Amino acid sequence: MTSIQRQYVGVLIVWVGVLAALYLFQELFS
Amino acid sequence: MTSVDWAIVAIYLIWIVWGGIRLTKRTKELEGYFLGGRSLPWWAVGLSVMATQLSAITMVGTTGQGYASGMRFLQFYFALPLAMIVLSVTLVPFFHNAKVYTAYEYLERRFDAKTRAFTSLLFLISRSMSLGVVISAPAVVFSVILGLDLTTTVLLIGAPAVIYTIFGGVQAVTWVDVKQMGLIVGGLIAAVVMLVAGLPDEVTVPQALRIAGAAGRLQIFDFSFDLTNQYTFWSGTIAALFLFCSYFGTDQSQVQRYLATDSVDSARESLMISAYWKIPLQALVLLVGVFLFLFFLYTPSPMLFNPVHERAMREGPHAAEYRELESRFEAATASRSASARVMGRAEAAGNTHDFEAARGEFQRQDAETRTVRAAAIDLVRRATGDAAYSDVNYVFPTFITQHMPIGFPGLLVAAILAAAMSAIGGELSSLSTATVIDFYRRFVRAEASDAHYLGVSRVATAFWGLFASIVAVWAAELGSLIEVVNRFGSFFYGSILGVFILAVGFPRATANGAFVGLVAGMGAVAWAASATNVAFLWHNVIGAVTVVIVGLAVSMLLKR
Repeated sequence: MTSIQRQYVGVLIVWVGVLAALYLFQELFS
Repeated sequence: MTSVDWAIVAIYLIWIVWGGIRLTKRTKELEGYFLGGRSLPWWAVGLSVMATQLSAITMVGTTGQGYASGMRFLQFYFALPLAMIVLSVTLVPFFHNAKVYTAYEYLERRFDAKTRAFTSLLFLISRSMSLGVVISAPAVVFSVILGLDLTTTVLLIGAPAVIYTIFGGVQAVTWVDVKQMGLIVGGLIAAVVMLVAGLPDEVTVPQALRIAGAAGRLQIFDFSFDLTNQYTFWSGTIAALFLFCSYFGTDQSQVQRYLATDSVDSARESLMISAYWKIPLQALVLLVGVFLFLFFLYTPSPMLFNPVHERAMREGPHAAEYRELESRFEAATASRSASARVMGRAEAAGNTHDFEAARGEFQRQDAETRTVRAAAIDLVRRATGDAAYSDVNYVFPTFITQHMPIGFPGLLVAAILAAAMSAIGGELSSLSTATVIDFYRRFVRAEASDAHYLGVSRVATAFWGLFASIVAVWAAELGSLIEVVNRFGSFFYGSILGVFILAVGFPRATANGAFVGLVAGMGAVAWAASATNVAFLWHNVIGAVTVVIVGLAVSMLLKR
């Protein structure tokens, strides 16, 4: 796996993590 | 604004313009002026790409949206990281390896001159008009809030960016953007800190967030599949994917940036910065809006945030009706504030019953506040004849100029100017590039020295700066024309993406097929916009899919 391919995987992991965190934030305070 | 604040703004503007002009010596040839000699570092380009998208409209408009409707607008950006990966794999290597100056130049190599000229012309028309709006929106707000003449605020916002872009080209734009991003993020964080500090002592941040949640301001996700609803999870992840692929993959104001890096991987790395940081940054902007809502929950706020309209309504023929609405507004906001305090006390005491009762009352009073504000805005619309009137752009500037301690208004006004300038510089540079490369060098004078093209490029940059400033000054009068042009631009976004999909993904697609497909795609979007209620994000999908289907069909038919 090249460096940029690792970046793509990193972006996807962070993307899922950020959306999950936002959803939890919404549910926690709503 | 005090003299200290004005001094901060002045020092910042001088520092930025001087920094940009100093880069003139690195722009002795055309490639240096338009593409930074294809040697700019990926991280600077990545920050510049982010800064260009973050205009003053984001700073004043999106924070106002957060204040009025909460954080649901964040869904609009959900597809952005996915679009960055798609583009890194598909279009970025094609553009970079082709060593082109503009995205449209690539279309001539793949198809023909008319497809290139048509797409570049569409870009010039829509981007130059939208640049006028990018300048006029904050100029109008600053003119009202700071009590300055509109031409003065247009010059304050537009002139510095025009000057450093004329002299320093894309190098100046990129390096100035790096500084601007620092100030913008710093300003937003300072605003959140000041807003939190402005909450009553007995209200903790978690309590405040629970109150914002009770008012629906923290509702981000909407999973309903409704094609007429602009902001849902599905429009944000599917339809917006097409929009972002088009914007970052085919709009010269973005493509030009990553063409300025030294390799395909550097270009890709620069896009990854937006992929990682765009959603958190946009969340921060909207969170400023949510904290503005909380701040004005406990601090008396005007019913309308635009002081000019507020004064006009109070003194005009609708004064009695306005006064009545204002009385209702004051009663509702006082009850809402009292209920919020009861919620906080009940939560601290662990009294669930009282908390739920106060929460219900708070939600009723918040609904009443919204109803009264909507009625007041409707009254202004009827009185002025401006059907699109809204005062959300004035909420953040009102807080900055009336509720922040000395020094901070200067910092925040400089941050808003930074956001405006970063968008203006990038767009100006791309307009100049498309004008010179796609038209002047292609159709007027194909052979000339670099010095000649460099001179023409600087004249083109100055021309577009002047054109956008004139549009900005006359924006109120040109309102309907600008709307038409922006609508025209939205017809074109999905369709041009379709042309690039044909170019890169379908070797069988021909020049005539692509051209007919482009016209058909724009027609399909025009039909969807006028005959259906489908939300505009989905127009990008309609445009791109139509271009690909019609383009392939025509290509095959004409080959036979």
